[in-house]
Amino acid sequence: MIDQPQGIDRRRFLKTSVAALGTAAIGFPDIIPARALAAPGRPGANDRIVIGHIGIGGRGNGLLGYSLSRVESGKVAVAAVCDVDEARLRKALIRVGPNATAYRDYRYLLERKDIDAVVIGTPDHWHAVGVVHAAESRKHIYVEKPACCTIDEGKAMVRAGRENKVCIQVGSQGRSQAECYKANRYIANGNIGTVNKVICWHYESPVDSKPVPDSAPPPDLDWDLWLGPLPWRPYNAKYCPGTFRWIMESGGGQIRDRGAHVMSNALWIMNADRKMFASPKNPAPPVTIDAKGTLPMSGLWDTAVTMDVTYQFRNPDWTMVWSQPGEKIPYFDEEKRKKLGIRDTYGATYHGSSDKLVVWVGDGQVYTELKAVDWTPGPGAKDVHRSPDFDHTSDWLHAIRTGTEPVMNIEAGVAAAYLTVLGNLSLILGRKLTWDPVKQEIIGDEQARRMMSRPQRYPYVV
Amino acid sequence: MNQPPSPATHTTMSDTTSNAAVIAAAAAGLAAVSHAAGSTSVDDLIAKITTKDNAVRGPAWQGAAPYGAAAVKRLAGVMPDEDFETARSAKRALWVIVRHAGRPGAAKEATAVAKELVALLPTAPAATRREVLWMLSEIAGDDAIAAVAALLSDKDVRADAVATLMRLPGRKSTAAIKSAFASAPEDFKFALADALRKRGEKVAGYPSQKMVPTRSTTVTQPPAAAAN
Repeated sequence: MIDQPQGIDRRRFLKTSVAALGTAAIGFPDIIPARALAAPGRPGANDRIVIGHIGIGGRGNGLLGYSLSRVESGKVAVAAVCDVDEARLRKALIRVGPNATAYRDYRYLLERKDIDAVVIGTPDHWHAVGVVHAAESRKHIYVEKPACCTIDEGKAMVRAGRENKVCIQVGSQGRSQAECYKANRYIANGNIGTVNKVICWHYESPVDSKPVPDSAPPPDLDWDLWLGPLPWRPYNAKYCPGTFRWIMESGGGQIRDRGAHVMSNALWIMNADRKMFASPKNPAPPVTIDAKGTLPMSGLWDTAVTMDVTYQFRNPDWTMVWSQPGEKIPYFDEEKRKKLGIRDTYGATYHGSSDKLVVWVGDGQVYTELKAVDWTPGPGAKDVHRSPDFDHTSDWLHAIRTGTEPVMNIEAGVAAAYLTVLGNLSLILGRKLTWDPVKQEIIGDEQARRMMSRPQRYPYVV
Repeated sequence: MNQPPSPATHTTMSDTTSNAAVIAAAAAGLAAVSHAAGSTSVDDLIAKITTKDNAVRGPAWQGAAPYGAAAVKRLAGVMPDEDFETARSAKRALWVIVRHAGRPGAAKEATAVAKELVALLPTAPAATRREVLWMLSEIAGDDAIAAVAALLSDKDVRADAVATLMRLPGRKSTAAIKSAFASAPEDFKFALADALRKRGEKVAGYPSQKMVPTRSTTVTQPPAAAAN
């Protein structure tokens, strides 16, 4: 391993350390990391970035597809796949091809110097540990949303990203979609006046209507490793796969699963990422969070079925409401909705002083009203971040190559996740909370303050 | 002591049962908890929790907050119930009590609940002790530290005990971890060293194992693919 000299920016270091590596690269295996061939002033290895995938079931499998779709162009190589489920690994190796290696333990993957970047598609409770360890291994990172499960996890993720100077993109990909860009640009140019309220709606979280007793885990699943940082408990078939979303400690319900999309877009459009994650130099006033909802009466899943959370921001004053199910606003073109499969069962309405704008869905799909889609900026109009090809993965890869910030950088991802964490905390504690964005703390409530952390089970610690 | 507000104003219940049934059950639950949390009303709570009817035990656990310390021991006794839904309802009732007792301005209530929880630590089954430790991590004060620290030598729950001490603020919890470190078995010293470092303490040896891979897979490239 080549140690990065202290005090030198990683990217600059990579670009200036090529001379020594260039000749040594001859005879390398088929997959050559971008860092090995990078030259000053130009990207390395024909723009190819070598990626390892951690967590390849469900959404993680979808993310693997995004990487594989770029292999032929030479932009990306997939060198490794990792999962705690051996059955998934067997399938993934067939899908990825002969150049990939399978791992059960992601730490083997992180040891590989030929891997430039990792894509983390694990359940939520692994995000923080995975990101911190990958950053400390100097890998660039794409991590699924929501970024963190606790406030302290979020702090550790931001710190690790900053200290190791790696590029982290959080998978709230709504910000990269064309119509989200257009909605943002439309509002940023004052077309609905000053926005004072954002109402998000989303259908309810499911109820575990057929609970089952604890049992032995499936033979292909490493249950202890699946739990990782969580307190140990016996396996139950309702924990996974996928259903971790409906358990507070590993998922957190719709407010986290989809709130991390819809509210991420809202923070972006309201230019408010720093309203949750401020600093003494750029302070922001306290935010209050007040949640009410209904919990399932039985079953393993314990996340809110219905839920209303009100977030009050100050200076400028505006309110955001997460409403589950809330009042659905049907997409305006039924024929198009059916044709494109537009999931208008969730979205957000932006209420301005002179008009309002609806933004439907919010993740890999974003749609908005025609007045924003068709609006043409005049001279001097403000522009906002525009992801290359309106694609979230492309935005991440572009940021890695250029040393720029991706649209859903780790600070933004953590800010959105904080909203979801605090909403759930207010609900389960049954009281209004006050968040100090500068101190990064809940204030005036000792129990809630303690719950900003959930000490992790060693050695799966940040 | 502050009068606890009705917990049903913030969270209520939901299930696949009809709304009417849910509303009726909620009303019944609220009626039950409107009485003082004496032994009779705790009996009522336990009776509801141990029914097999979700429309009864659901509202019962969701409305358990005002029972407070008086219900802790009885509910913990139900947590090992062989009916997993009954056990779950008891556990959740206890959590509702803890979350309510920890509210600002209710220090005496939190102390009373924590005292009852601490009393469970020496003898409760391991699964109950684990839950109790995490409950204590939210509301306990220094009084609980010795009882929690005693479990650092209990292999079944020591990871939860150290997590609990990590959440308890102040120097006494750090001192308890430090004291346990001296006599801990070698395999557990790494976890304690990590906890101490997170508390700002210097620890010689026992470097972090967090990045050390330990779990090998048996999955490799199929022979045909590997030969390509």
